[in-house]
Amino acid sequence: MSASAFAGSDLPVRADLAESQERAWQAIAAPGTWLDGQRRLAVAAEIRHAIGCAHCARIKAALSPTGVAGAHDSLGELSAAEVELIHRTVNDPGRLSEAWAQSVLAQGMSEGEYVEIVGIIAMVMMMDTCTRALGLPERQLPAAVAGAPTRYRPPGARRQAAWLPLVEPTDTVEADGPMYPSPKAGYIYRGLSSVPQSMRDYWALANCHYLPGQAIYRFDLPAMRAISRPQTEILAARVSALHQCVY
Amino acid sequence: MLRESMQSEGKQVALAGVTSGFDQGVDVAHATELLEFTEAVVLRDAPRLAAARAALLPLLGGAGLVDAAATVAAFYGFVRIADAIGIPHFTAPAGAELSGLREEVGIDSFYRMQGAAR
Repeated sequence: MSASAFAGSDLPVRADLAESQERAWQAIAAPGTWLDGQRRLAVAAEIRHAIGCAHCARIKAALSPTGVAGAHDSLGELSAAEVELIHRTVNDPGRLSEAWAQSVLAQGMSEGEYVEIVGIIAMVMMMDTCTRALGLPERQLPAAVAGAPTRYRPPGARRQAAWLPLVEPTDTVEADGPMYPSPKAGYIYRGLSSVPQSMRDYWALANCHYLPGQAIYRFDLPAMRAISRPQTEILAARVSALHQCVY
Repeated sequence: MLRESMQSEGKQVALAGVTSGFDQGVDVAHATELLEFTEAVVLRDAPRLAAARAALLPLLGGAGLVDAAATVAAFYGFVRIADAIGIPHFTAPAGAELSGLREEVGIDSFYRMQGAAR
């Protein structure tokens, strides 16, 4: 493990990419909306641990992900619902279902906690996959920052279009803070919107790995990366297909 | 997005290759090496990934390799948000119906679509 992302790499890593990862790790270590910093880091540790879970491997290999007997190999710091959410989302995301999501919530997890944990999963997996793809070690988890979660729930959050509540662009209020770059933001952008800080943290990171949100649908712009737009999109499409992602 | 980006360069792409492989090739520079890199990352095959990286580096340069890795990594996040939150998948961001595209790409054979059909 290294003390900072990309440490010791000879590769010319974009400054904004490296900085986005450092900011993201600090955000994960800080108090969130529903989880404090220590619990958010416990989630991050469980995400990494889940990669080697034998029970997840059996689920992944089964024709159906339901009904596979056994228990996840966990670090023991989180609840059974949190472990289930983390392990299944890390290892077999393409076969999650609304019934499964409801079963996780029925174990006592709040919708806010669920969404915040999904945001951490997305961020940690993005950063760890980036460094692993480049042959670099994982960054050490940072130290937790003390403090209480804000427990802010956007008044416009409603469960309607997705399994979990979303805040539609027309339902945002000033207290939510900055939300959407455009009222036409797609559903993938709205996914974490019921926990606005998680949404902002995620997109600050994602915009530096893929493309800035305002550039995604602009194919006429000059190249923003060291690979062409078709090269970017063939990578993106293949990753999504290999995950059986239907979106 | 792949089709749009290809069309912006005056090119066509058989989208089925995204799921079934581009047997007839695809008019994207170093596509074979990029796809091998992607698959090695997703399969967590360390020796295969090291070889894929070594093959890509002279083709893309260091900055290109970093951006390839960052793009693959970004979609590890996107797919997990989409799949765990259960965002709608029957329309595109602009509201366009996607059934034809899903069939063309082969997405209709994915587990969740099979479940949706039941």
